[in-house]
Parts: sequence; C-alpha cells; structure tokens
Amino acid sequence: MRRHGPFHPRVHWAAPPSLSFGLHRLLLLRGTRIPLLHHLSLDGGMVNPPGVSESIGREAFGPPPASSDWLPARWRNGRSGWPRARLCPGWTAAEEGRSSTLGGLLGRQRWLLRMGAGWLGAPMERHGRASATSVSSGGEQAAGGPEGRRQEPLRRRASSASVPAVGASAEGARRDRLGSYSGPTSVSRQRVESLRKKRPLFPWFGLDIGGTLVKLVYFEPKDITAEEEEEEVESLKSIRKYLTSNVAYGSTGIRDVHLELKDLTLCGRKGNLHFIRFPTHDMPAFIQMGRDKNFSSLHTVFCATGGGAYKFEQDFLTIGDLQLCKLDELDCLIKGILYIDSVGFNGRSQCYYFENPADSEKCQKLPFDLKNPYPLLLVNIGSGVSILAVYSKDNYKRVTGTSLGGGTFFGLCCLLTGCTTFEEALEMASRGDSTKVDKLVRDIYGGDYERFGLPGWAVASSFGNMMSKEKREAVSKEDLARATLITITNNIGSIARMCALNENINQVVFVGNFLRINTIAMRLLAYALDYWSKGQLKALFSEHEGYFGAVGALLELLKIP
Amino acid sequence: TYGSTGIRDVHLELKDLTLFGQRGNLHFISFPTQDLSTFIQMGRDKNFSTLQTVLCATGGGAYKSEKDFRTIGNLHSDELDCLTKRLLCIESVSFNGQRPQKMPSNLDDPYPLLVVNIGSGVSILAVHSKDNYKRVTGTSLGEGTFLGLCSLLYGCESFEEALEMASKDDNTQADKLSHDIYGGDHERFGLPGWTVTSSFRNMFYKEKRESVSKEDLARATLVTITNSFGSVARMCAVNEETNRVVFVGNVLHVNTLSMKLLAYALGFWSKGQLKALFLEREGYFGAVSALLGLTNFS
Repeated sequence: MRRHGPFHPRVHWAAPPSLSFGLHRLLLLRGTRIPLLHHLSLDGGMVNPPGVSESIGREAFGPPPASSDWLPARWRNGRSGWPRARLCPGWTAAEEGRSSTLGGLLGRQRWLLRMGAGWLGAPMERHGRASATSVSSGGEQAAGGPEGRRQEPLRRRASSASVPAVGASAEGARRDRLGSYSGPTSVSRQRVESLRKKRPLFPWFGLDIGGTLVKLVYFEPKDITAEEEEEEVESLKSIRKYLTSNVAYGSTGIRDVHLELKDLTLCGRKGNLHFIRFPTHDMPAFIQMGRDKNFSSLHTVFCATGGGAYKFEQDFLTIGDLQLCKLDELDCLIKGILYIDSVGFNGRSQCYYFENPADSEKCQKLPFDLKNPYPLLLVNIGSGVSILAVYSKDNYKRVTGTSLGGGTFFGLCCLLTGCTTFEEALEMASRGDSTKVDKLVRDIYGGDYERFGLPGWAVASSFGNMMSKEKREAVSKEDLARATLITITNNIGSIARMCALNENINQVVFVGNFLRINTIAMRLLAYALDYWSKGQLKALFSEHEGYFGAVGALLELLKIP
Repeated sequence: TYGSTGIRDVHLELKDLTLFGQRGNLHFISFPTQDLSTFIQMGRDKNFSTLQTVLCATGGGAYKSEKDFRTIGNLHSDELDCLTKRLLCIESVSFNGQRPQKMPSNLDDPYPLLVVNIGSGVSILAVHSKDNYKRVTGTSLGEGTFLGLCSLLYGCESFEEALEMASKDDNTQADKLSHDIYGGDHERFGLPGWTVTSSFRNMFYKEKRESVSKEDLARATLVTITNSFGSVARMCAVNEETNRVVFVGNVLHVNTLSMKLLAYALGFWSKGQLKALFLEREGYFGAVSALLGLTNFS
C-alpha cells in the first residue's frame, strides 16, 4: 500500500547496506573493520599487517603461483558460502600495495605517465579529489595497512572515485594468505599484462540504468595481439563478437552505430567505443542473459550509474551473480560530458547549436566550440529533469529539477493517443498543430498582451482549449501529441531560463534522451531560450545526448581522472 | 444562481462596506467566460446602456470582447494592475503543512511579496510596494491545463467534478517516483523517495495504463500542475528574495488539496524559509480592483 506523498513521507533510508547483515556480523567477529563500501573484500581472512608483502616485480616474471595470487581469489565462485566481492577500480593499486613502496611508486609513475595530460588535453582531476593525493596515499599507506583505510560515512552511496588505493592495498595483502581455491590455477598472460599495466580486465562496460532506458557503452579493443586473442576466454570473445557484429539485440536493444567513436585510446588500449541502449523494462532479460553467458566468470567489474543501479543491484547479485559498482548519476554525467567533449566526435564537434531555429527552411545545425565551458548550465532531460550548474570540473551543484520530463511526454502521449513507442509519439507530434489544443494569449486577449510583452502567439494555457467539448472533438491525435511535446518542452525551457538567470550563466547545454531524434523540441528550446532572454542565452546540444552517464561510469571503471 | 452557470458566492459576501461614501454589501459572482456573449446579450436586453454606467473590466477578455462591450459601455483596466493595487486581505490564510489547518495571517507589512496568479495560465508578480511591481515570469501550465487534461483523459465536465475525483485517490499510480527509479531516496541530492521524478511516466506501461483509474489520473494531473507552478514560484521567490508567496486564483477556490500540497512543498523544498499564503476571496481581486477603479471616472 503506497500512500506516499507529501503528507506521508516515507522513512528515509540510511545508505542501503551493500553487504548482507550476516556478513556484517561475520566480519565484525573476525575483527576486521568494515567500511561499507563496494570495494570491500569479503574473502575473509585476517587483515595482513604491513610487512607481509609479496616480492617486488612478481608480475614481471610471469604468472605467479596461484596460491598466493589474488586473482584466483577473485575467481572463487561465491557459492562456497562467501559472497564474492567485486573490487571497484581501486584494485589497480592493489598491486602497488603488495609490492614494496618503491616498486609501487615506480609502477604508479608509469601508470600516471600513461594516463597523464598528454592525450586528454587539459588534465582532468578526479572529481572531488586530486589524483595525486590518492596516488601517494596508495604508495604510503600500503605500509599503513588497514589503519590507513579511510572510513567513509555510512550514508554515502556515492561513487567509489574516492575509494583510496589504501583499502584495496590492504585487501590485496590479505588475499595472499588465502589457501585453497576452486578457481582456475593458471593465469593468462593477457590478464597478467593487464594487471601489470593497471588496467581492469575486459570487457569494459559503462552502464547507466535510467528510469526508461538503459545506456551501455562498450569499449571494443582493436589492438588485440594474436597472442592475446589466443588466450582470450571464450565468453569474452563471444561477447565482443555479439556486440560488434549486431546493431540490434533481441527485439528492443539497439546499437547507435552513427555515434560510434573510432580509434579511441583508453587506458593505453586502442579501440572503438560503442553506444547501446535498451529499455529498462527489459533489464531482467539483460541480467538473465548475463547469467546465461556466464558473465560472472569473467570477473569483470560492472560500473553502473543511474537510479537503476541501486534498484537492480539485488537482482544483479542474486540472478546474475554480478556485483555492481554503483556510481552517482550526476557525477558520471559531468565526467562523461567533459571527456566526450575533449575527445571530439571522430574529428567533428560534439557540441552544436541551431541557427534560425524557428524557420524550417533556414534552420541550420552548426558546430559550437565549447572551449570555455564554465560556467555551464546543464539540463539533463531524461524521464525527469535535473538542472545542474557547473562551475568547474569538480565544482557543480544540482540547482533544481522538474518532474515534467521525457517520461511525462511519453506517458501522456500514450494515454492521449495510444501510441506505443517514443518514435511513434514524435512522428505524430511532427504532424500535429498544437494551437488547436492550447489556449494562446491571443485567444484570451484577442492579440498581444503588450503591457508585459507577451505576444499573441505565446501559449497562455497549455491544453486550455480542451475544456470545451466542441474543441475536444475537433482535435486529432497528432494535435494532442504535438501539444504535449510543446508543453513539456516549453516548461523545461522556461525553468532552464530562470535558472540561468539566477545563476548568472549564459550557456545552457541540453542533454538526455528526450532530445534524441527530437528536432522539434531542440529547435523550440533554442528559439524559446533566445527569444525570452532577448538573445542573452544560448541553447547548446550534444551528439551523444543520453550516453554521458554511461561514459562517466566507464571512465570510473578505468579510473581515468 | 444565474441561468445555468452563473453562481453567486454567498459565503464571500462582504457586508456593511463603505465604498465611495455609500454603505452596502459587496457580492461576488462568477460565470464561465464562454457564456460572456450571453451576458452581453442580457445587458443589451435589459438596456444597460440607458443607465449610463461605466463598466470597469479587466482580464484578457476585456480586450478581446471590447467591441462587444462597447454596446454597454466599458473601460479597461489592466489585469495585473488590478490584482496588485488592492490586495484586500480580508482574511489571508496559510496552511501549516503537516497538520493542515487554516491559520489567519496578517499581511500588515506585505512587501516584498510574490503573487502567483493562477488562472487559465499562471503569472508571477513580484510586488515591492503598492505601485511598484513587475511580472517576473509565468507558466502555461495552469488551471486551464488541469481542466483540459482532465477532460481529455476521462471526459470530466466541470472543475468541481475534476477536483472531486482528484481528492479521492493516489497519484503514485500514474507518476514515477524517485522510489521507483532508485528503490529509495536519492540522498546525494536530498531527494526523498516519494518525490515525483517523472509525472505520468508510469503510463507508458500497458499494464499500468489498464490498472489506473480516473481518480488516479485526476489526482496525478492536479499534483503535476500544482507541483509545477509551486516549483516555479519557489525559484522566483528565491530570486526575488521574498519569503512570502501568495497564491491567488480560482483553481484554489475549493481546492484544499492543492493548497495543502503547495504549502507543504514550498515549506519542504525551501527548508521552511518560504511561506505559502492564500486568500479567502481568491479569484475576485481583479474584479474588485476594477470596481475600485471606478473612482477615476465618477
């Protein structure tokens, strides 16, 4: 019985436990400290005091004996009674931790150089913290052992960006003590190589589970050597082939081929970035597929953002035997946007705007160079709308939002016109005339409302004409669809304008899948913003609209600052 | 009642008023704009023009129907001027969110004030003094939208009917709440689980469409519209640095649901900084001021 609402607010949660209650207790008994974070290793065993570390350069000399390698520990399947842990990207520093401090630092430097400012243009700091800090902490704190592990407050569900190498290092040390494993005993050279270069294992995914659509970005490596290919695990190969040779998956999954980013270098590997989406409704099917294809055996990290990452976390675990690394959606959004903008779109500009938006014939889509991005107003139009003011790479805030977003457009359209897909709704809207449905200023005033500068064609009351029976009978489904689109778009534009005014920002970027193939809305936003602000505000759009969250999640996986 | 649609709000009658040196009662009557032509016809039939009276009119319709009114004689006053000139706060009312009760509140020192006029559409005015005000912004999602959508969604015939249905049920069937997307609160940005993240979003799913009732839809519509202009009002209040927001308009006429929602939402999202105020004679201020404008012509 859900009588929620402003008068019966639900009990607010504390952070959802990422471990089961039983596990908490068990770990308590074992005397380990319990940061309730996703990087926690649940392999049990006492925390290793510093000093017990593997010899330096283990990785450099080929596959180490299984018994003391942490890899098999990760491969242990959880059915032995211990739920398997998924380290978040913090594990890369585990290698550091196990080696002596010096070796660790050298390794870190190598990694840094690779990740450094060179190929990314302006170096991007990790959100909220300078990379340098965690680097050094990774090196030093290895000696500090578990005491160095930072405790995050219970309530934070935020990204593990801040998860220090520290914790991971301690765990890495701990793992070495584990005894028998049920996992494979030989380690492929590819994996070792990956580890040596501090890369997460393939496949590399970024997932954004929104209210309506799931966005998936997949990095397809193109520089696979023959040797690597030979050693590649079968399921990994089949995933790669499945994703790259199809453009449609099942009946609802789609790969946006035109958005593919070619020849990208990520984490030292060259490859293509693919953009895939499917309805959140089909999430259970996706998880089921993951189970059938034995995703869990790949021991890859699934970095996911969006509300669904929290909502489906349990399902992923129980059905797919996969643990999600949950990240905050707005953090990922910002990260994703800044990254994609910096790498460009296969040589073209990512960002664009409309010239002459109101004129169908003269309207042109022109590239926009976002070289001075800050401050920026980011309007993310998904199922709902969030508006963020971005002042710098690490400094942004959520200004406000509105519940009348893409979901409203879609839901109302479904109710009013019986359409079943977003494309259908848009198609109907393109053929309709909203002025039959809406009450305009001239319908009330007989002309302009000059005193306050309201032109006669401005909408005074959305759906205002629908109170009258004759008018209701005279409108078509297309008119209704159009009116819904106009209403939602105008509302968003108006709120965006007010926020821009409040925050003193004159660049407004609209992203989100509501704008996908939705030229009507984009042009309307461009026009409205320009008109009502008397040319002060500029509406900008982006080619990869809805995928930034997923890209941000992928970047988090690769720990790219 | 007058004809089939005109209504005199007897409970709002102001007795023993002194106006222009005369004592009397002030009556408040409303009828749908659609019937304006009938009204004008009646004026013609009853030979209004022979009375040589001045008819002060305001509102958009004053401009639109000007030609028709000429037969009876009229004068314009600007709609928003009228509204702000005389905010006769006979009794202003505020709701205290959690335990909604009417509390009389004083508008002794009214300025600065944010006035949200909810008609077919919504205009938001920042009032700094009796003569100094500006129209800050507006939104097209107002009472007209609520009624229009209700009529479309399930063919309701009147405002009262729509409100009655809305008061019955649960909007969470039609809307997608934060809870539905996050499985709980989105703490990072302080969004509790019962926040609506996407109005009507659930209507995409066929099963939900079939299981939702008219009452749910009515409620969802009302909540959506109310939240929308409530949110805009809040942003304006922050921008204009006022902490009192007066909502006027007929949609609030007998609409305690909207009033409670506005009072609660404004208080919640502003962390108690903003106060939502309502007035007893919500929709009549324009008319009252037009009447008072008569002084200029006597």
